[in-house]
Amino acid sequence: MARATVAEKRLRKALDADEHELKALLREEFAGLAAEQRAELLQRVAKSAVKGNGGSAALSARLHGVREVLRERLPICVVDERQPIGLAVEQILAIDERSFWISGWAREEEAGGRIVVVSPEGHRVDLSKRAFRFERPDVVQFYAGLGRAGDRDQGFTAFFELPASSRLGSGWVVELHTAAGAAVEVQCPPVNTDPQAVRTTILGELGNHAPPRRLAAEHGRHALSRLQERIVGEAEIDSVDTYGEPPELPEVSVIIPLYRRLDFLEHQLLHFSIDPELAEAELVYVLDSVEQREELAARARELFALYRLPFRVVNPTAGSGFAGANRHGVAVASGRKLLLLNSDVIPDRPGWLGEMCRFYDAGERIGALGAKLLYEDDSLQHAGLYFHRLPGTEVWENAHRFKGLHRSFPAAAVAQPVPAVTAACALVDRERYEEVGGLPLHYVQGDYEDSELCLRLAEAGYENWYLPEAELYHLEGQSYVAEARRGLSDYNMWLHSELWGEEIAATMERFDPHAATVAGQGVRR
Amino acid sequence: MSDLRVLYVVHNHPTLHPGGAEAYALELYEAMRETPGVEPLLLARIGTNVARRRVAHPGTPFSAVNGDPGQYFVFTETEHFDFFTLTSRDKALYTRHLTDFLLAQRPDVVHLQHTHFIGVDLLSQIRRVLPEATIVYTLHEFLPICHRDGQMVRTFGDELCAEASPRRCNECFPELSPQAFFLRERFVKGHFANVDRFLAPSAQLMDKYLRWGIPEDRIEVEEYGRREPLRRAGDPAAMRTPTNIGFFGQLSRFKGAEVMLDAMAMLDPECEAHLWLHGANLELQTPEFQEEFAVRSDELRDRVTFRGPYDHDELPRLMEGLHWVVVPSIWWENSPLVIQEAFFHRRPIIASDVGGMAEKVADGVDGIHFRAGDAWSLARTIERATASPQLWQELREGIREPYAMDAHVERLLELYAEDVETRKAVVVGG
Repeated sequence: MARATVAEKRLRKALDADEHELKALLREEFAGLAAEQRAELLQRVAKSAVKGNGGSAALSARLHGVREVLRERLPICVVDERQPIGLAVEQILAIDERSFWISGWAREEEAGGRIVVVSPEGHRVDLSKRAFRFERPDVVQFYAGLGRAGDRDQGFTAFFELPASSRLGSGWVVELHTAAGAAVEVQCPPVNTDPQAVRTTILGELGNHAPPRRLAAEHGRHALSRLQERIVGEAEIDSVDTYGEPPELPEVSVIIPLYRRLDFLEHQLLHFSIDPELAEAELVYVLDSVEQREELAARARELFALYRLPFRVVNPTAGSGFAGANRHGVAVASGRKLLLLNSDVIPDRPGWLGEMCRFYDAGERIGALGAKLLYEDDSLQHAGLYFHRLPGTEVWENAHRFKGLHRSFPAAAVAQPVPAVTAACALVDRERYEEVGGLPLHYVQGDYEDSELCLRLAEAGYENWYLPEAELYHLEGQSYVAEARRGLSDYNMWLHSELWGEEIAATMERFDPHAATVAGQGVRR
Repeated sequence: MSDLRVLYVVHNHPTLHPGGAEAYALELYEAMRETPGVEPLLLARIGTNVARRRVAHPGTPFSAVNGDPGQYFVFTETEHFDFFTLTSRDKALYTRHLTDFLLAQRPDVVHLQHTHFIGVDLLSQIRRVLPEATIVYTLHEFLPICHRDGQMVRTFGDELCAEASPRRCNECFPELSPQAFFLRERFVKGHFANVDRFLAPSAQLMDKYLRWGIPEDRIEVEEYGRREPLRRAGDPAAMRTPTNIGFFGQLSRFKGAEVMLDAMAMLDPECEAHLWLHGANLELQTPEFQEEFAVRSDELRDRVTFRGPYDHDELPRLMEGLHWVVVPSIWWENSPLVIQEAFFHRRPIIASDVGGMAEKVADGVDGIHFRAGDAWSLARTIERATASPQLWQELREGIREPYAMDAHVERLLELYAEDVETRKAVVVGG
């Protein structure tokens, strides 16, 4: 192999510089090697070339050229109901440049074959042990003519990582090496790189395989966390527009993500403009539906002229969901306290912000402070959150205390510690917020960011409180539209339980959700 | 002491499009103009839905009316008005144009007759630009409360509605969410908070606004004052029985057009009643309604005569041949001006037993009530009314003179003075 090593070095050099030399080398030195040697060489080159170069589209293209020359081609699999071996790749999704999601099916006579995915650059990843396998009734039916023989779990889905970036949209190959010694391959469809579409597809697949949650636990969670990082990471603050002169050293920054329903801005500004306490706070709107930038700028100018209440608008380069938008708002905010607020929250009367701040300051170690939120018919939307699961089930759901009861319900009129509060209206000290890392970004635009924030605060030794004196209306579900969240909530709920199940169980041991509980005084009904 | 400057704002000018509230607003402006110590202004909205002409001058929505230095048009695009939230989407109307107008005119009192096509934001902007100005608002219908053209009649079955709520409004308009109605209500109330005094021409209208949430100490009943007609209609031509009934107003469902026709078809063959329809705006109704109206009035041509639109000045002549006036509306109304007109000419009224009709017509004193929307009840009432010259004579004697414009002006000036004082104290104190 000494000769190969010298040649290998020349090959790596040629990858960087000389296309002519690259081609000559491949022809003269490597093409004649045995298949196994070529495969091994290819793998090493692909891996080490990237280490030296950091990866680029041009390098990917050259590596792909090398792969095409050196790779041992297997017979192309023709899917035929009379042929016992079948292989198909239905989709390959890019999570980021180094991690992917693949799904398809493989049919063979007996279990135990290997499924290997080959990147355009020549990386080989064996999915056999890794993939989530499941029965595909459609495949079973297709091969019904061959009798009942054959592997049961034809379907495969897997999240996998490469040692280096892959930047080519096509050229992926999947090989099937059967236990009986046969081998075939198929070309994969082009890689889908659109993060939103990728996310929707993965969530759809998770929905098809739940419960049990093995697909989510072993594949979905990793893929979606990476995807969230990518989506959030790609959204940067592009500009901050300031209307009027916001207070210089505000006690509180009110952070409000705006998503699609820009009409809420007008309603909030009208109601905020009649409350002197809001003029002392810093108002930060974050536009998460970035395509509405021009429209919002035009409206914001007009509405500032009418209501004269100063505010800022943060324009990110891309949308990143509720937690991502809040992150931008916090980055811009200068207040010592943060008031997280939804755009569909309208105060019942002036004075609520002062009530919340005074209560917060008077408390010992308050984490997040929530308000009494009402539906438009004066029933309770929020009086603190707790966690709930049906007997015999594993997964904890977020539940709202006294939801749907009248706003005057006595037990909801008591200020008290609660397991969590909604971020539709929550006051948090900025340092405490940052100490625990703020709203988590790993949920897929879900309802669990706020409860995890509260669980993090509780873990750090703070107490979350509910304050009934601050009363606001929350037109729940009018901002982030509910339809986009169906299916998401299952996954988010599962992830939340997976991460915090023990803490939640311990919290709920001590908390009675059906009574007013005053700290240190037991239960009051 | 300088004259009291009072700015009247109205959604339309009666020379563009006839209507009760706008006719009253112009009469009030004219009466104030003749009152010593008062310098009134009238600002009437104009737009492409009522006038052929677009904005008169480049760069301003304002233009003078008929060379009167006290009367102005303000042009607003109909398409810019948000009929749901009752606001103009063109905020420059408030922040620039109306602000300029207010600062140039500096009224002591802004008395709004209507904010339709202009928008409720005007109320906040007046308060911001002229903190010392008194804001008075006369409520003419239920638009701030009810999205169904301010009628408070439900969209299904035309049931009268006594109380709006996000839930009930969503029942009437399933495509609009309860949350949207909630925001609408809060938005309108947010701007209404700047009004010093609301005036309700009828107690029934005031009751509905009180229930909706206008504070009790900021609203009171003040009936429309009316100028006396130049000429009063004489007695109807001598007839054995008082058989002639007149209808004045828009021929629309809400005004009870169908109820009237149904009742006329149900009359006893012996009954000699005849209905004279002096109806406007038939062409604005739906084609189906117009079609049905044409067929029905033709079938009833022996009992019903359609005489078309009329001019206000013609009223004495048209009243001359009539014994009764019928007001069969199936919605609440406010204080129907036709009732005052009829009483000026001393015609007793056959009226629906709800809302403004029930309040302004006293059953058995100056008119007769029938069950609103009930054609059978109206038919029996007409039979009874037209059969008895004695009843007619008694009711005619029970009629009192309508509330005069002079008294109304005097009362308004008292209220303005009171509010101006209060406002001064607030501004100095605050």
